[in-house]
Formats: sequence, C-alpha cells, structure tokens
Amino acid sequence: MATEQRTTTGGGDDEQPLGLTVASGAVAAAVIVPLLWLVESALEVGLSDALALLTRPTTVQVFLNSTVLVVLVTAACIALGVPLAYLTVRTDLPFKRFWTVAVSLPLVIPSYIGAFTFVSAFGPRGVLQRLLAPLGIDSLPEIYGLPGAVLVLTLYTYPYVFITTRAALKSMDTTLIDAARTLNHSRWEAFKRVTIPQIRPAVAAGALLAALYALSDFGTPAIMRFDAFTRVIYVEFGAFGRDTATLLSLQLVAVTLVILTLESQIRGNERTTTGGRSGSVMKLGRWKYPAVGFAALVAIVALVVPMGILLTWLAEGVAETGRSLAFRPEYAFNSVLVSAATAGAATIAGLPVAYLAARHSSRLSSLFERATYIGYAVPGVVLGLALVFFGSSYATPIYQTLYLLVFAYVIRFLPQAIGSLRASFLRVDPTLPEAARTLGETPTGAFRHVTLPLVAPGLFGGAALVFLTTMKELPATLMLRPSGFKTLVTHIWSAHEQGYFGQAVVPALILLFVSGLSMLIIIRQEGYDVK
Amino acid sequence: MQDHDRELRGHGRRRFIATAAALGLGSLAGCAGLGGEDETTTESGGNETVEQIGSGRSPFGDREITGGVSVADMPDLSGELTLYSGRGEALVGELISFFEDYYDDFTIRPRYNSAAELVNQIQTEGQNSPADVFFSVNAGSLGALKDAGRTQKLPSEVLDLVRDEFHDPDGQWTGTSGRARTVPFNTDQFDESEIPDDIMKFPETEAFRDNIGWAPTYSSFQAFITAMRVLEGEEATKQWLQGMQDLGVTEFKDEFLVSQAVADGEISAGFANHYYIQRILAGRPNAPLKTAFTSGDAGSIFNVAGALVLNTADDADLASNFVRHLLSAEAQDYFARTTFEYPLVSGVDPIGELPSIDELNPPEGLDLTQLSDLEGTVRLLREVGVL
Repeated sequence: MATEQRTTTGGGDDEQPLGLTVASGAVAAAVIVPLLWLVESALEVGLSDALALLTRPTTVQVFLNSTVLVVLVTAACIALGVPLAYLTVRTDLPFKRFWTVAVSLPLVIPSYIGAFTFVSAFGPRGVLQRLLAPLGIDSLPEIYGLPGAVLVLTLYTYPYVFITTRAALKSMDTTLIDAARTLNHSRWEAFKRVTIPQIRPAVAAGALLAALYALSDFGTPAIMRFDAFTRVIYVEFGAFGRDTATLLSLQLVAVTLVILTLESQIRGNERTTTGGRSGSVMKLGRWKYPAVGFAALVAIVALVVPMGILLTWLAEGVAETGRSLAFRPEYAFNSVLVSAATAGAATIAGLPVAYLAARHSSRLSSLFERATYIGYAVPGVVLGLALVFFGSSYATPIYQTLYLLVFAYVIRFLPQAIGSLRASFLRVDPTLPEAARTLGETPTGAFRHVTLPLVAPGLFGGAALVFLTTMKELPATLMLRPSGFKTLVTHIWSAHEQGYFGQAVVPALILLFVSGLSMLIIIRQEGYDVK
Repeated sequence: MQDHDRELRGHGRRRFIATAAALGLGSLAGCAGLGGEDETTTESGGNETVEQIGSGRSPFGDREITGGVSVADMPDLSGELTLYSGRGEALVGELISFFEDYYDDFTIRPRYNSAAELVNQIQTEGQNSPADVFFSVNAGSLGALKDAGRTQKLPSEVLDLVRDEFHDPDGQWTGTSGRARTVPFNTDQFDESEIPDDIMKFPETEAFRDNIGWAPTYSSFQAFITAMRVLEGEEATKQWLQGMQDLGVTEFKDEFLVSQAVADGEISAGFANHYYIQRILAGRPNAPLKTAFTSGDAGSIFNVAGALVLNTADDADLASNFVRHLLSAEAQDYFARTTFEYPLVSGVDPIGELPSIDELNPPEGLDLTQLSDLEGTVRLLREVGVL
C-alpha cells in the first residue's frame, strides 16, 4: 500500500507510543482474524479449480461489470455530494438548514428498499407508467440493468460524500480563499487552488465508503437484474458451493485492497487544520433557483419516490396470510439496542486506531487503519459465515448471542467511526495538548481533558453514522442474531421476501424515523465546527 | 362431530374443531390411503381438541379439515427445540407458534433465513450446531445436508404418513408439502390451449418471443433444470437453455416476481411454482393470470418442502415428533389454506384454482433426491451464459 505520500500530520510525538500501537494493532487483528476463515475455506477449493473459476468468461465479465458499477457510482456520488455540500455550506442557498437535512436523509433508506421501490415506481407497468398511460405513454426507459443499479446505489450512498465534504468545508479556513481572491484569482480558480486541495481527503474518504458499499451490496444489483460480483457469490452459496463462494469473496477482498490503495493516493497530503474561520458566503444571485432546484430534485427522487411507494403498499392493505408478521414494538427496541451498542463499541475500538493514524503517521499505523476497512467491503453474507465459523468453533459461549452480533457489526462499520474520528483528530491543533503537558498533565490526562472534548463532535457524528448503518444491516443480522431475535430489518425482510409488501411498511417507516433522528445528530454536531 | 365450540357462519372468527371424527369424514369423502389409521385414532382423541390453525377461511372460501391424523393423536411435545427454517416466517410463523402455544412446556427457537444460507450455516457450524430440525423449501437443500452426513433417520411413524415418493428412500428427510412446477400465463394474451404441454417445445414457440420470464438464480428453477438434465440429458438441456435465451427471456430475481410480471402483462408467460400464482390471485382475484401445466416432463415436476432431524439434535425424539406434527391434519390443512401448497398426507385437499394432486402429471420415475445436484446445474447454466 502506498503510504509514503502521507507525510505530514500534526507533529506531536515523533515516536509511537507503545500502548497505543498495541491497542490499535489488537483492534485491527480482531477485525481480520475471523476473515482468515475465508482463506482457509478457499484453500479447500484446490488450485486448478480456483484458476478455472476465476478465469471463466462469465467471472471476468462479472468482474468488469462490478468495476464499471463501482466507478460510475463513485463518480456520481462525488458529482452529487460535493456540489450539494458546497451549496449548503458556502453559499446563501435559501433554507440551508432544511436542504442539509433533506439531502442527508437518503442515507437512512436501505438501498434494497430503494431498489424495490424504484422498480415498483419506474419499472414496466409500474406506478409511473400507469399514471402516464392515459396520456398515451405506454413504455418508459428501461430501469433495469446498469442504469438502475447506478441510480439507486448513487442516491443512497452519495450522502457519505456529502457529509464528509460538508465537515471539511465547515472547518476550512476561508480567509485563504479571500487571500486568493485578493490575489486576483477568479472564483473558480480560487476554488480549484485553495478549496479542492483542502477538501480532497474528505471527499476521498466519503467516496471510499460509497465505493466499498457499491462493491459489497448484493440487494440492489440483484433487484436491478445487473450481474455484479456479489451475485455470483450468491449463486454459489445457493448451489451449496460454499468453498467457491468464499474463493470469490477473496477476489472481492483483493479488489478492496486496490480501492484502498487508490484512495490513499488520492487522499494525498493531509494537514492539521487549526480550526477555520468561515465568514464569507458566496452570493448565488440568479443561480439561486437552479441551485434550489438541484437540491430539491435530488431529495424528491431519493426520498419521495420510496416513501410514496411504501405508502401505496400500506394503502393496498395487508394480505390475510401475512398475519404472523404483525408488527411488535420490541423489534424497534431490538434494533435500537444493538445499533446503540455497536455505535458505542465501534467508537471505543476506533479511538486508538484513528488517533494513531492521525497523530503518528507510519507504515504500521496506516496498515492498521486500512486493515479495518476490509470487513466493510466483504459481502455481509460472507462475513456472516466467517463469524458463524469463528463463533461456533472458538467462541461457543457467545455464539448466537448479541455479543457476537455486535462484534460482527463493529467489524463491518468500524471504518465509519474511524474515518470521522481521524478527521476530528486532524482538526485539533497538537500544540493544545502539548500546552496541557507543560502545565503538568500526564499524556492520558492531556488527551482526556483537552483532545477528547475537542473531538467530541466528530466522535458523536461517527457514532451516529455507525448507529444508522447498523439499523439498516441485513445479511449478517440474519446469520448471527440469537434465534428468535427480531429487528426492524429482519421483519421487513420476512415480509418482503414472501411478497407481503404491506407488512413491511410500518417497520420501514419506523426504521426511517429512528435513523432520521440519528441523522439529525450527525448534522447537528457540525455546528461545533464553526465557533 | 364434537363441534360444541362451533359458531354459525358469517360470525366473527369461526372455530372449527378437528377431532378424530373429522378423519372419518375424510375417509367418507373417498380418500384412499388412510388404511388402518382409522381405528387407531377414532377413540384416542379423548377430550383433547385442536382448533383449525388460523381462521377457517381462505381467500378462495371457507373450509374444514377433511382428513389426516390430528395433532391430538400425536405424541405430546415438551422441551426446547431449535428450528432452522428455510421457509419464511410470513408463511410458517403462524404454524410454528401454534404448536408452541398448544403445548404448555414446549418452546421453539426458530431461526429464519434462506434455505441455502442455513445449509451453509449448519455445515459451517459443524458439530457445534445448535440446530435440531431443518425445515426447508425444497428437496435439494435437504439432500445437500443428507449428502454432507448431517442428518439422522426419521422413525417409520413419521415416514409412513406420506407416500414413498415424497420422502427420502433412506428415510433421512420427509416432504411436508408439495409444490408443482407450472407455467403462469396472462389470459389477455393467451388461451390455455395455446400453451404447449411439452416443456421442450417452449424455445420454438414464437408467441413467447421477448415475452417470457424466468428466475435462474432461484432454487426452484434450478431444481427444474436439474430435473431436465436427469430426464432429457445434458445436451438437450443445454439446447433448451440456449433456445430460451435466443427467444429472448427476461430474468427475474424470484418466481413471485415472475408471476407478478405475468399478472401485470409485462410478460405473457413464465416459469414458476404453482403457489405464487395462487398467492397473487388471493390478493387480486381479477388479475388476468392462470396456471398451465406441462405433462410428464421437467416442466411438471412435483417437488416438496420438507424437514429433517440433524445429527446434532439434542433430543432426537422431540425433533422427529416435531416433524411428525408438520404432517398432522391441522398442519397439512394449514399448508393448503395458507401457503397454497399441496398437502402430502392423503385426504387433505389442495385449495384454490388447482387440480388435485392426482390430476397432476409429473414425470414418471424421477426421484426427488436426484434434484440435489445443483452444482451440475449451475455449471451448465454458466456454460450457456445464463448465470
């Protein structure tokens, strides 16, 4: 992995503290160890079979398909996320607060629900077509295939880019831009030469999350009838070809490593920004209406379409046979319980990794940080099986308990906590804890009394992000939950899988509501950035 | 009939009592195959009565339990049972909780997931698997666990409840309900007589051009192709798949979606298990959707959903008795009314717009255990580029 480029971090101690390194290494190891099952399982396939499988034309085709999908989704996420972030932070967009919330909210909608509702709305003989039929329109552009998969994945992952970019824009020192402007740079030039380099790491971090999500998502490509990588893995599992499926998953891990490397190149040099002063706001003038239109379009397509379809299903009523799926409040409680536990655990586990990576740049710290991303990109079903093996073989007392389930979630979503924490640490001026040291604080004391309060907003933001993605997680939940333990998404899945759409609506709406609340926390915490 | 609890029609929730007497009624109705069961059950019912599971209504009208052995005449269940169910909770949840509620000291810990994922999970768990019973949507996944040596033989009291062709020849698993392969078609676009009754004729039927759907990643579809491989050979199957692709077949994620697309007129016909059609008709009685059957070929195989006892079961007796309960009159009636499947115990009739099990023409001499070779099918599907 190309880590050499990342040279400058915030100074601080030059030698790495041993305790911190050990803690960080332990977290990375805990994330990686269960995945070793993948290697073991793949080895059982045998070399010749493995080669035959990996070089088969369809595998190659599917590999290319996945690559195209990931590239397009990532590009589209940046194309939506960065302008929206800029508009909501740096311009006089009317109702900024409202639009910030509105364009963040798609993140609370699980992509598989998005995909189903989009097919229902825009598919052949879908809601839209039926509405338009009286006007003589009897066919719509094809939603299936690559366009649909890109559309849905983009709409439900661009908020990663939006959120990270926003945070960077907020904490950026705008006096630099003013300086550039006084040096006769045009607005665009000032943006290119001052703003872009400053927000690039944040955009890259958000894009990384979006890219890895697109790579590992199964539901959307399956529903959109697009042959992505995860589908081959699914077919193998369905044909009880577990070994082959894990071999393919290893290939997926390899692709992940490539993406991680690319991202670290793009991320480039990072500086510690010592808290920004952002005064000047760009006047939109006559661009006000197109700008509002852009934000409104994104929010409407991403939010109103699925909500509208969900409500249609609700109106269609509940099939007689779906009675065993009556909703119980305990499902919502269960979801919140495991998600909150995961958010807490991921934050605690993420602290040493993020701190080490931000303060003590080295090959090792970077390796630990990157390692934690691997669990995020492995398809949920594969991670689930790895933990089934790990749990039933080596951790029987916690197998099929909430402990193992939360552990699985932490493996899966740790990067989201680390990304947010790391960015926060970079924003703390290292001279502050040093000052505390000179006043007699121990290193731990300085961290607790100075650094931690300063990173608290980022800490809560990261925790909220982990919370809401845990709320949405499905495949690992299905495999690792205690028998009989039901959450909102397992309930939605049960109802939806059997075609009882109506029964999925209430839990889906509750899911969106609770996740929406945590999204408000994410947005709120940014308020601290601008003092 | 000891129907002291029965209310009059059209009034709230009707409660029907299924007693041993109901069994007599079933035999009177002319159902064969009950044999000596009558005398063993008629008097042993005692005071125990079992309600019909759920309401007596189905979307296709009211009905009573017609035959089979009542739960009241089966050994009591007590203790704790971990059930890995590859059948969705929406479909069987009510049945499972019925048994749990019926017995005071019986607890079921159900775990719902797709059948394939549960098979993988059981194999990955190895000897530490907490699972006692595996309940599955198809013979293929049951066969896979049998082949992996993870099953144990069911007692004859369980196996004897269904015809020989519906349970494993070695007694490692039993079918609990049946599912027929069918051709859902749109009645606005076709007459029943226009659907070929030979599955091998489909690729050359021009009327289906760019107008037919399938779900190649779906396990029931793969079982159907496996049957074709067994019956027609690899080469003919390959040509059939190629022909269908040349014809322009639309791919769906599952067969519920195939059937829905047919009902919506998005495609004119498709390949699906029979109950998806019934499930759509139950909600949309006027949908232009009907069921066609092919005859004596892979397109008309009759697969089963079934259950088995794992070799890691804590209490094998409890586990096999639970499987036996899935073959009770009440459970079989439940499958017919609620999941629109074919009951496998003689005397319990299917429901809806379906021919009886005896009117179906499944291929002769096809052993359901032969359908577990999905690997070979997936390989073939790949070769022709379907997957």
